[in-house]
Amino acid sequence: MIGGKTAVVCGYGDVGKGCADSLRGQGARVVITEIDPICALQAAMEGYEVRTLEDVVETADIFVTATGNKDIITADHMARMKHQALVGNIGHFDNEIDMAGLGRVEGVERTNIKPQVDKWTFPDGHAVIVLSEGRLLNLGNATGHPSFVMSNSFTNQVIAQIELFTKNEEYERRVYVLPKHLDENVARLHLDALGVGLTELTGDQAAYIGVPVEGPYKSPHYRY
Amino acid sequence: MTTTTAAHALDFKVADLSQAEFGRREIELAEHEMPGLMKTRARYADRQPLSGARITGSLHMTVQTAVLIETLAALGAEVRWASCNIFSTQDHAAAAAVVGPEGTPEEPRGVPIFAWKGETLEEYWWCLEQALRWPDGGPNMILDDGGDATLLVHKGAEYERAGAVPSPDSTDNEEMQVVLGLLGRSLEEDPQRWTQLGDGVLGVTEETTTGVLRLYQMQETGQLLFPAINVNDSVTKSKFDNLYGCRHSLSTASTAPPT
Repeated sequence: MIGGKTAVVCGYGDVGKGCADSLRGQGARVVITEIDPICALQAAMEGYEVRTLEDVVETADIFVTATGNKDIITADHMARMKHQALVGNIGHFDNEIDMAGLGRVEGVERTNIKPQVDKWTFPDGHAVIVLSEGRLLNLGNATGHPSFVMSNSFTNQVIAQIELFTKNEEYERRVYVLPKHLDENVARLHLDALGVGLTELTGDQAAYIGVPVEGPYKSPHYRY
Repeated sequence: MTTTTAAHALDFKVADLSQAEFGRREIELAEHEMPGLMKTRARYADRQPLSGARITGSLHMTVQTAVLIETLAALGAEVRWASCNIFSTQDHAAAAAVVGPEGTPEEPRGVPIFAWKGETLEEYWWCLEQALRWPDGGPNMILDDGGDATLLVHKGAEYERAGAVPSPDSTDNEEMQVVLGLLGRSLEEDPQRWTQLGDGVLGVTEETTTGVLRLYQMQETGQLLFPAINVNDSVTKSKFDNLYGCRHSLSTASTAPPT
Protein backbone atom coordinates (compact mmCIF):
# COMPACT_ATOMS: atom_id res chain seq x y z
CA MET A 1 0.00 0.00 0.00
CA ILE A 2 1.36 3.38 -0.98
CA GLY A 3 -1.54 5.51 0.28
CA GLY A 4 -0.81 7.15 3.61
CA LYS A 5 2.85 6.16 3.60
CA THR A 6 5.72 8.61 3.59
CA ALA A 7 7.64 8.34 0.33
CA VAL A 8 10.97 10.04 -0.24
CA VAL A 9 11.99 10.94 -3.79
CA CYS A 10 15.67 11.85 -4.06
CA GLY A 11 16.01 14.27 -6.97
CA TYR A 12 13.34 16.57 -8.45
CA GLY A 13 14.37 16.77 -12.09
CA ASP A 14 11.96 15.56 -14.78
CA VAL A 15 12.15 11.97 -13.51
CA GLY A 16 11.75 12.97 -9.86
CA LYS A 17 8.80 15.18 -10.76
CA GLY A 18 7.05 12.24 -12.44
CA CYS A 19 7.81 9.94 -9.49
CA ALA A 20 6.57 12.44 -6.92
CA ASP A 21 3.36 12.98 -8.88
CA SER A 22 2.85 9.22 -9.16
CA LEU A 23 3.29 8.65 -5.43
CA ARG A 24 1.13 11.63 -4.49
CA GLY A 25 -1.53 10.31 -6.85
CA GLN A 26 -1.53 7.09 -4.82
CA GLY A 27 -2.04 9.04 -1.63
CA ALA A 28 1.52 8.99 -0.32
CA ARG A 29 2.90 11.88 1.68
CA VAL A 30 5.85 12.78 -0.52
CA VAL A 31 9.13 14.26 0.70
CA ILE A 32 11.72 15.51 -1.79
CA THR A 33 15.49 15.75 -1.35
CA GLU A 34 17.35 18.15 -3.66
CA ILE A 35 20.74 19.80 -4.06
CA ASP A 36 19.58 22.35 -6.63
CA PRO A 37 17.83 25.38 -5.10
CA ILE A 38 15.66 25.86 -8.22
CA CYS A 39 14.36 22.29 -8.20
CA ALA A 40 13.97 22.43 -4.41
CA LEU A 41 11.87 25.57 -4.70
CA GLN A 42 9.80 23.98 -7.47
CA ALA A 43 9.10 21.01 -5.20
CA ALA A 44 8.16 23.26 -2.30
CA MET A 45 5.84 25.33 -4.51
CA GLU A 46 4.16 22.10 -5.63
CA GLY A 47 3.39 21.46 -1.98
CA TYR A 48 6.00 18.81 -1.27
CA GLU A 49 8.05 18.85 1.87
CA VAL A 50 11.74 19.26 1.01
CA ARG A 51 14.13 17.74 3.53
CA THR A 52 17.53 16.15 3.68
CA LEU A 53 17.62 12.37 3.64
CA GLU A 54 19.14 12.47 7.13
CA ASP A 55 15.96 14.15 8.40
CA VAL A 56 13.58 11.47 7.16
CA VAL A 57 15.61 8.28 6.83
CA GLU A 58 14.30 6.83 10.10
CA THR A 59 10.64 7.69 9.55
CA ALA A 60 9.84 7.21 5.87
CA ASP A 61 8.40 4.04 4.33
CA ILE A 62 9.42 4.27 0.66
CA PHE A 63 12.65 5.60 -0.87
CA VAL A 64 13.17 6.22 -4.59
CA THR A 65 16.40 7.63 -6.04
CA ALA A 66 16.11 9.71 -9.22
CA THR A 67 19.27 11.79 -9.18
CA GLY A 68 21.68 10.46 -11.81
CA ASN A 69 24.34 10.73 -9.13
CA LYS A 70 26.07 8.17 -6.92
CA ASP A 71 26.07 7.28 -3.22
CA ILE A 72 22.62 8.74 -2.54
CA ILE A 73 21.36 6.01 -0.19
CA THR A 74 24.21 4.44 1.76
CA ALA A 75 24.37 1.23 3.75
CA ASP A 76 24.35 3.40 6.88
CA HIS A 77 21.07 4.98 5.76
CA MET A 78 19.53 1.55 5.21
CA ALA A 79 20.75 0.42 8.62
CA ARG A 80 18.69 3.21 10.15
CA MET A 81 15.47 2.73 8.15
CA LYS A 82 12.17 1.38 9.46
CA HIS A 83 11.51 -2.34 9.28
CA GLN A 84 10.60 -3.32 5.72
CA ALA A 85 11.17 0.11 4.26
CA LEU A 86 11.08 -0.12 0.47
CA VAL A 87 14.18 1.05 -1.40
CA GLY A 88 14.44 1.45 -5.15
CA ASN A 89 16.16 3.43 -7.90
CA ILE A 90 14.79 4.86 -11.14
CA GLY A 91 18.01 6.56 -12.29
CA HIS A 92 19.92 5.00 -15.15
CA PHE A 93 22.75 3.36 -13.21
CA ASP A 94 22.85 1.21 -10.10
CA ASN A 95 25.25 3.36 -8.07
CA GLU A 96 22.60 5.63 -6.51
CA ILE A 97 22.00 3.01 -3.80
CA ASP A 98 25.19 1.59 -2.31
CA MET A 99 24.44 -2.09 -2.89
CA ALA A 100 28.10 -3.07 -2.58
CA GLY A 101 28.24 -1.35 0.80
CA LEU A 102 25.03 -3.06 1.89
CA GLY A 103 26.52 -6.43 0.99
CA ARG A 104 29.57 -5.64 3.12
CA VAL A 105 27.61 -4.87 6.29
CA GLU A 106 28.71 -7.41 8.87
CA GLY A 107 25.98 -9.96 9.58
CA VAL A 108 23.55 -8.65 6.94
CA GLU A 109 21.47 -11.39 5.32
CA ARG A 110 19.89 -11.32 1.87
CA THR A 111 16.67 -13.24 1.23
CA ASN A 112 15.28 -13.37 -2.27
CA ILE A 113 11.51 -12.99 -2.12
CA LYS A 114 10.92 -13.26 -5.88
CA PRO A 115 12.80 -12.12 -8.97
CA GLN A 116 14.05 -8.54 -8.47
CA VAL A 117 12.72 -8.31 -4.91
CA ASP A 118 15.18 -8.92 -2.05
CA LYS A 119 14.82 -8.57 1.69
CA TRP A 120 18.04 -7.51 3.40
CA THR A 121 17.97 -8.23 7.14
CA PHE A 122 20.35 -6.46 9.47
CA PRO A 123 21.82 -8.07 12.60
CA ASP A 124 19.35 -6.12 14.77
CA GLY A 125 16.48 -7.92 13.03
CA HIS A 126 15.09 -5.07 10.96
CA ALA A 127 15.04 -5.43 7.17
CA VAL A 128 14.81 -3.29 4.06
CA ILE A 129 13.24 -4.43 0.79
CA VAL A 130 15.42 -3.57 -2.21
CA LEU A 131 13.97 -3.61 -5.73
CA SER A 132 15.98 -4.83 -8.75
CA GLU A 133 19.27 -4.81 -6.82
CA GLY A 134 19.25 -1.04 -7.09
CA ARG A 135 18.84 -0.99 -10.86
CA LEU A 136 16.01 0.74 -12.74
CA LEU A 137 12.98 -0.46 -10.81
CA ASN A 138 10.41 0.45 -13.42
CA LEU A 139 12.03 -1.89 -15.95
CA GLY A 140 13.18 -4.52 -13.46
CA ASN A 141 9.96 -4.80 -11.44
CA ALA A 142 7.49 -3.76 -14.13
CA THR A 143 7.44 -3.36 -17.90
CA GLY A 144 8.84 0.16 -18.17
CA HIS A 145 7.19 3.15 -19.71
CA PRO A 146 3.97 2.81 -21.70
CA SER A 147 4.01 2.70 -25.49
CA PHE A 148 2.50 6.11 -26.15
CA VAL A 149 5.17 8.07 -24.33
CA MET A 150 7.93 5.90 -25.80
CA SER A 151 6.57 6.68 -29.26
CA ASN A 152 7.57 10.29 -28.62
CA SER A 153 11.07 9.35 -27.44
CA PHE A 154 11.66 6.83 -30.19
CA THR A 155 10.35 9.06 -32.98
CA ASN A 156 13.07 11.49 -31.90
CA GLN A 157 15.54 8.62 -32.07
CA VAL A 158 14.51 7.67 -35.61
CA ILE A 159 14.65 11.28 -36.80
CA ALA A 160 18.07 11.70 -35.15
CA GLN A 161 19.37 8.55 -36.84
CA ILE A 162 18.11 9.80 -40.23
CA GLU A 163 19.70 13.23 -39.61
CA LEU A 164 23.13 11.91 -38.67
CA PHE A 165 23.17 9.20 -41.31
CA THR A 166 21.92 11.20 -44.29
CA LYS A 167 23.52 14.59 -43.50
CA ASN A 168 26.68 13.36 -41.83
CA GLU A 169 28.94 15.92 -43.47
CA GLU A 170 26.98 18.70 -41.70
CA TYR A 171 27.93 17.40 -38.27
CA GLU A 172 31.24 17.75 -36.43
CA ARG A 173 32.49 15.71 -33.49
CA ARG A 174 30.17 17.54 -31.14
CA VAL A 175 26.89 16.98 -29.31
CA TYR A 176 23.76 18.40 -30.97
CA VAL A 177 20.07 18.57 -30.16
CA LEU A 178 17.40 18.24 -32.84
CA PRO A 179 16.07 21.53 -34.23
CA LYS A 180 12.82 22.75 -32.72
CA HIS A 181 10.71 22.26 -35.84
CA LEU A 182 11.47 18.52 -35.70
CA ASP A 183 10.69 18.45 -31.99
CA GLU A 184 7.37 20.18 -32.63
CA ASN A 185 6.64 17.71 -35.41
CA VAL A 186 7.10 14.76 -33.04
CA ALA A 187 4.42 16.24 -30.82
CA ARG A 188 2.20 16.96 -33.83
CA LEU A 189 2.32 13.27 -34.84
CA HIS A 190 0.80 12.32 -31.48
CA LEU A 191 -2.10 14.80 -31.32
CA ASP A 192 -4.70 12.94 -33.39
CA ALA A 193 -4.51 9.85 -31.22
CA LEU A 194 -5.61 11.92 -28.23
CA GLY A 195 -8.25 13.89 -30.12
CA VAL A 196 -6.42 17.17 -29.64
CA GLY A 197 -7.92 20.14 -31.47
CA LEU A 198 -4.97 22.42 -32.18
CA THR A 199 -5.62 26.12 -32.66
CA GLU A 200 -3.91 27.74 -35.66
CA LEU A 201 -2.35 31.18 -35.61
CA THR A 202 -3.62 33.73 -38.11
CA GLY A 203 -0.95 35.37 -40.24
CA ASP A 204 -1.52 38.57 -38.29
CA GLN A 205 -1.09 36.81 -34.94
CA ALA A 206 2.04 35.03 -36.15
CA ALA A 207 3.55 38.32 -37.27
CA TYR A 208 2.64 39.92 -33.92
CA ILE A 209 4.77 37.39 -31.96
CA GLY A 210 7.33 37.07 -34.73
CA VAL A 211 6.98 33.39 -35.64
CA PRO A 212 6.00 31.58 -38.85
CA VAL A 213 2.40 30.31 -38.91
CA GLU A 214 3.70 26.74 -39.22
CA GLY A 215 6.26 27.12 -36.42
CA PRO A 216 8.65 26.81 -34.76
CA TYR A 217 6.74 28.71 -32.11
CA LYS A 218 9.24 29.16 -29.30
CA SER A 219 12.70 30.65 -28.99
CA PRO A 220 15.56 28.26 -28.19
CA HIS A 221 15.71 29.46 -24.59
CA TYR A 222 12.01 28.81 -23.88
CA ARG A 223 11.77 26.16 -21.14
CA TYR A 224 8.25 24.73 -21.50
CA MET B 1 18.39 -20.11 -23.74
CA THR B 2 18.06 -20.05 -27.51
CA THR B 3 21.22 -19.43 -29.44
CA THR B 4 22.10 -19.44 -33.07
CA THR B 5 22.61 -22.69 -34.92
CA ALA B 6 24.04 -23.39 -38.34
CA ALA B 7 20.52 -23.72 -39.70
CA HIS B 8 19.73 -20.12 -38.81
CA ALA B 9 20.77 -17.27 -41.05
CA LEU B 10 20.67 -15.02 -37.98
CA ASP B 11 23.03 -14.98 -35.05
CA PHE B 12 21.34 -14.02 -31.80
CA LYS B 13 20.94 -15.01 -28.17
CA VAL B 14 17.64 -14.63 -26.37
CA ALA B 15 15.84 -16.59 -23.65
CA ASP B 16 13.14 -18.46 -25.50
CA LEU B 17 11.99 -18.13 -29.10
CA SER B 18 8.74 -19.92 -28.30
CA GLN B 19 7.59 -16.67 -26.66
CA ALA B 20 7.70 -14.91 -30.02
CA GLU B 21 3.97 -15.23 -30.72
CA PHE B 22 3.11 -13.62 -27.36
CA GLY B 23 5.65 -10.91 -28.10
CA ARG B 24 4.18 -10.30 -31.55
CA ARG B 25 0.67 -9.89 -30.11
CA GLU B 26 1.96 -7.24 -27.70
CA ILE B 27 3.99 -5.53 -30.43
CA GLU B 28 0.85 -5.27 -32.56
CA LEU B 29 -1.01 -3.63 -29.66
CA ALA B 30 1.92 -1.28 -29.08
CA GLU B 31 2.06 -0.24 -32.73
CA HIS B 32 -1.39 1.30 -32.41
CA GLU B 33 -0.21 3.22 -29.33
CA MET B 34 2.94 4.46 -31.09
CA PRO B 35 1.59 6.75 -33.83
CA GLY B 36 4.80 8.76 -34.13
CA LEU B 37 6.79 5.70 -35.11
CA MET B 38 4.10 4.28 -37.39
CA LYS B 39 3.55 7.61 -39.20
CA THR B 40 7.32 7.96 -39.58
CA ARG B 41 7.42 4.51 -41.18
CA ALA B 42 4.68 5.51 -43.60
CA ARG B 43 6.26 8.88 -44.38
CA TYR B 44 9.69 7.47 -45.27
CA ALA B 45 8.67 4.06 -46.63
CA ASP B 46 9.43 5.00 -50.25
CA ARG B 47 12.64 6.95 -49.61
CA GLN B 48 14.30 4.33 -47.36
CA PRO B 49 16.57 6.96 -45.76
CA LEU B 50 18.37 4.44 -43.57
CA SER B 51 19.31 2.18 -46.46
CA GLY B 52 22.97 1.34 -45.90
CA ALA B 53 22.83 2.13 -42.18
CA ARG B 54 24.18 -0.59 -39.89
CA ILE B 55 22.78 0.40 -36.50
CA THR B 56 23.97 -1.12 -33.25
CA GLY B 57 21.41 -0.43 -30.55
CA SER B 58 21.93 -0.59 -26.80
CA LEU B 59 18.54 0.10 -25.27
CA HIS B 60 16.11 -1.80 -23.00
CA MET B 61 14.81 -4.70 -25.13
CA THR B 62 11.10 -4.15 -24.48
CA VAL B 63 7.96 -4.40 -26.58
CA GLN B 64 8.21 -0.68 -27.34
CA THR B 65 11.83 -1.05 -28.39
CA ALA B 66 10.81 -3.84 -30.75
CA VAL B 67 8.55 -1.32 -32.50
CA LEU B 68 11.53 1.07 -32.71
CA ILE B 69 13.78 -1.66 -34.11
CA GLU B 70 11.24 -2.65 -36.73
CA THR B 71 10.77 1.02 -37.67
CA LEU B 72 14.51 1.41 -38.27
CA ALA B 73 14.46 -1.79 -40.34
CA ALA B 74 11.39 -0.60 -42.27
CA LEU B 75 13.35 2.53 -43.26
CA GLY B 76 16.15 0.42 -44.69
CA ALA B 77 18.54 -0.08 -41.76
CA GLU B 78 20.26 -3.26 -40.73
CA VAL B 79 20.10 -3.56 -36.96
CA ARG B 80 21.86 -5.48 -34.18
CA TRP B 81 20.68 -4.97 -30.61
CA ALA B 82 21.51 -5.49 -26.95
CA SER B 83 19.69 -4.30 -23.86
CA CYS B 84 21.19 -1.54 -21.71
CA ASN B 85 20.27 -3.07 -18.36
CA ILE B 86 20.60 -6.62 -17.03
CA PHE B 87 16.96 -6.75 -15.88
CA SER B 88 15.09 -4.68 -18.46
CA THR B 89 14.63 -7.14 -21.31
CA GLN B 90 11.16 -8.50 -21.91
CA ASP B 91 11.93 -11.98 -23.17
CA HIS B 92 8.83 -12.24 -25.33
CA ALA B 93 9.68 -8.96 -27.03
CA ALA B 94 13.25 -10.10 -27.68
CA ALA B 95 11.97 -13.38 -29.13
CA ALA B 96 9.47 -11.62 -31.39
CA ALA B 97 12.12 -9.20 -32.67
CA VAL B 98 14.41 -12.11 -33.57
CA VAL B 99 11.63 -14.05 -35.29
CA GLY B 100 10.32 -10.94 -37.04
CA PRO B 101 6.84 -10.39 -38.46
CA GLU B 102 7.52 -12.73 -41.38
CA GLY B 103 9.53 -15.47 -39.67
CA THR B 104 8.86 -18.43 -37.41
CA PRO B 105 10.72 -19.70 -34.32
CA GLU B 106 12.10 -22.46 -36.57
CA GLU B 107 13.10 -19.97 -39.25
CA PRO B 108 13.69 -16.56 -37.65
CA ARG B 109 13.79 -13.67 -40.09
CA GLY B 110 13.99 -10.67 -37.81
CA VAL B 111 16.91 -8.90 -36.20
CA PRO B 112 19.94 -10.24 -34.27
CA ILE B 113 19.14 -9.57 -30.61
CA PHE B 114 21.48 -10.36 -27.72
CA ALA B 115 19.41 -9.86 -24.57
CA TRP B 116 17.51 -11.68 -21.86
CA LYS B 117 16.05 -10.73 -18.50
CA GLY B 118 18.51 -11.43 -15.70
CA GLU B 119 21.92 -11.25 -17.35
CA THR B 120 25.09 -11.42 -15.26
CA LEU B 121 27.47 -8.49 -15.71
CA GLU B 122 29.74 -10.70 -17.85
CA GLU B 123 26.78 -11.70 -20.01
CA TYR B 124 25.62 -8.09 -20.27
CA TRP B 125 28.91 -6.85 -21.69
CA TRP B 126 29.23 -9.95 -23.89
CA CYS B 127 25.81 -9.14 -25.38
CA LEU B 128 26.85 -5.55 -26.07
CA GLU B 129 30.06 -6.73 -27.68
CA GLN B 130 28.07 -9.08 -29.95
CA ALA B 131 25.76 -6.24 -30.95
CA LEU B 132 28.82 -4.17 -31.89
CA ARG B 133 30.51 -6.99 -33.85
CA TRP B 134 28.99 -7.22 -37.31
CA PRO B 135 29.73 -10.06 -39.69
CA ASP B 136 31.74 -7.66 -41.89
CA GLY B 137 33.16 -5.32 -39.26
CA GLY B 138 31.27 -2.85 -37.17
CA PRO B 139 28.25 -0.58 -37.17
CA ASN B 140 28.18 2.77 -38.92
CA MET B 141 25.59 4.13 -36.47
CA ILE B 142 25.02 3.67 -32.73
CA LEU B 143 21.73 4.15 -30.92
CA ASP B 144 22.60 4.33 -27.25
CA ASP B 145 20.79 4.58 -23.93
CA GLY B 146 23.08 5.45 -21.05
CA GLY B 147 26.16 5.47 -23.21
CA ASP B 148 27.51 1.95 -22.65
CA ALA B 149 28.00 1.21 -26.37
CA THR B 150 29.68 4.60 -26.83
CA LEU B 151 31.81 3.95 -23.74
CA LEU B 152 32.98 0.55 -24.95
CA VAL B 153 34.05 1.96 -28.34
CA HIS B 154 35.82 4.96 -26.77
CA LYS B 155 37.55 3.01 -24.00
CA GLY B 156 38.55 0.29 -26.44
CA ALA B 157 40.08 2.82 -28.84
CA GLU B 158 41.75 4.70 -25.96
CA TYR B 159 43.47 1.55 -24.65
CA GLU B 160 44.48 0.53 -28.16
CA ARG B 161 46.19 3.90 -28.59
CA ALA B 162 47.93 3.33 -25.26
CA GLY B 163 48.79 -0.24 -26.26
CA ALA B 164 47.60 -1.59 -22.92
CA VAL B 165 44.43 -2.09 -20.89
CA PRO B 166 44.54 -1.48 -17.13
CA SER B 167 44.28 -4.62 -15.05
CA PRO B 168 40.76 -5.42 -13.80
CA ASP B 169 42.36 -5.44 -10.34
CA SER B 170 43.01 -1.72 -10.70
CA THR B 171 39.40 -0.87 -9.81
CA ASP B 172 36.95 -1.79 -7.02
CA ASN B 173 34.03 -1.30 -9.37
CA GLU B 174 32.71 -4.75 -10.29
CA GLU B 175 31.25 -3.62 -13.62
CA MET B 176 34.43 -1.78 -14.65
CA GLN B 177 36.38 -4.95 -13.83
CA VAL B 178 34.26 -6.80 -16.38
CA VAL B 179 34.76 -4.06 -19.00
CA LEU B 180 38.53 -4.05 -18.49
CA GLY B 181 38.62 -7.85 -18.72
CA LEU B 182 36.69 -7.75 -21.99
CA LEU B 183 38.89 -5.04 -23.49
CA GLY B 184 42.05 -6.80 -22.32
CA ARG B 185 41.06 -9.98 -24.15
CA SER B 186 40.05 -7.89 -27.17
CA LEU B 187 43.43 -6.14 -27.28
CA GLU B 188 45.19 -9.51 -27.39
CA GLU B 189 42.96 -10.76 -30.21
CA ASP B 190 43.03 -7.62 -32.34
CA PRO B 191 44.93 -4.49 -31.24
CA GLN B 192 43.01 -2.31 -33.73
CA ARG B 193 39.43 -3.59 -33.32
CA TRP B 194 37.90 -0.63 -31.48
CA THR B 195 39.98 1.97 -33.31
CA GLN B 196 38.71 0.68 -36.65
CA LEU B 197 35.20 0.28 -35.30
CA GLY B 198 35.22 3.87 -34.03
CA ASP B 199 36.52 5.14 -37.37
CA GLY B 200 33.56 3.51 -39.10
CA VAL B 201 30.89 5.06 -36.88
CA LEU B 202 29.21 8.12 -38.40
CA GLY B 203 27.41 9.07 -35.23
CA VAL B 204 25.48 8.18 -32.11
CA THR B 205 22.04 9.17 -30.93
CA GLU B 206 21.72 9.09 -27.14
CA GLU B 207 18.50 8.45 -25.29
CA THR B 208 19.01 9.47 -21.70
CA THR B 209 20.26 12.09 -19.23
CA THR B 210 23.15 9.98 -17.95
CA GLY B 211 24.45 9.12 -21.43
CA VAL B 212 24.15 12.73 -22.54
CA LEU B 213 26.22 13.84 -19.54
CA ARG B 214 28.97 11.43 -20.60
CA LEU B 215 28.83 12.77 -24.19
CA TYR B 216 29.21 16.41 -23.12
CA GLN B 217 32.13 15.41 -20.88
CA MET B 218 33.81 13.73 -23.87
CA GLN B 219 33.11 16.78 -26.02
CA GLU B 220 34.74 19.03 -23.41
CA THR B 221 37.88 16.92 -23.29
CA GLY B 222 38.03 16.52 -27.08
CA GLN B 223 37.68 12.74 -26.86
CA LEU B 224 34.46 12.37 -28.83
CA LEU B 225 35.22 10.17 -31.85
CA PHE B 226 32.05 10.95 -33.83
CA PRO B 227 29.08 13.37 -33.84
CA ALA B 228 26.28 12.82 -31.36
CA ILE B 229 22.66 13.86 -31.16
CA ASN B 230 21.31 14.36 -27.67
CA VAL B 231 17.82 12.92 -28.04
CA ASN B 232 17.13 13.25 -24.33
CA ASP B 233 16.86 17.02 -24.52
CA SER B 234 14.28 17.09 -27.25
CA VAL B 235 11.33 18.62 -25.42
CA THR B 236 9.16 15.76 -26.66
CA LYS B 237 11.56 13.33 -24.96
CA SER B 238 12.60 14.51 -21.51
CA LYS B 239 9.49 16.56 -20.77
CA PHE B 240 7.33 13.54 -21.60
CA ASP B 241 9.19 10.22 -21.16
CA ASN B 242 11.10 11.25 -18.05
CA LEU B 243 8.07 12.95 -16.51
CA TYR B 244 4.90 11.15 -17.61
CA GLY B 245 6.66 7.84 -18.27
CA CYS B 246 7.96 7.72 -14.71
CA ARG B 247 4.62 8.93 -13.36
CA HIS B 248 3.10 5.84 -14.98
CA SER B 249 5.77 3.21 -14.44
CA LEU B 250 6.90 4.05 -10.90
CA SER B 251 3.56 3.08 -9.40
CA THR B 252 3.42 -0.20 -11.31
CA ALA B 253 6.91 -1.09 -10.07
CA SER B 254 6.59 0.06 -6.48
CA THR B 255 3.59 -2.17 -5.92
CA ALA B 256 5.59 -5.23 -7.03
CA PRO B 257 6.48 -6.34 -3.50
CA PRO B 258 3.59 -7.17 -1.19
CA THR B 259 3.76 -3.89 0.71
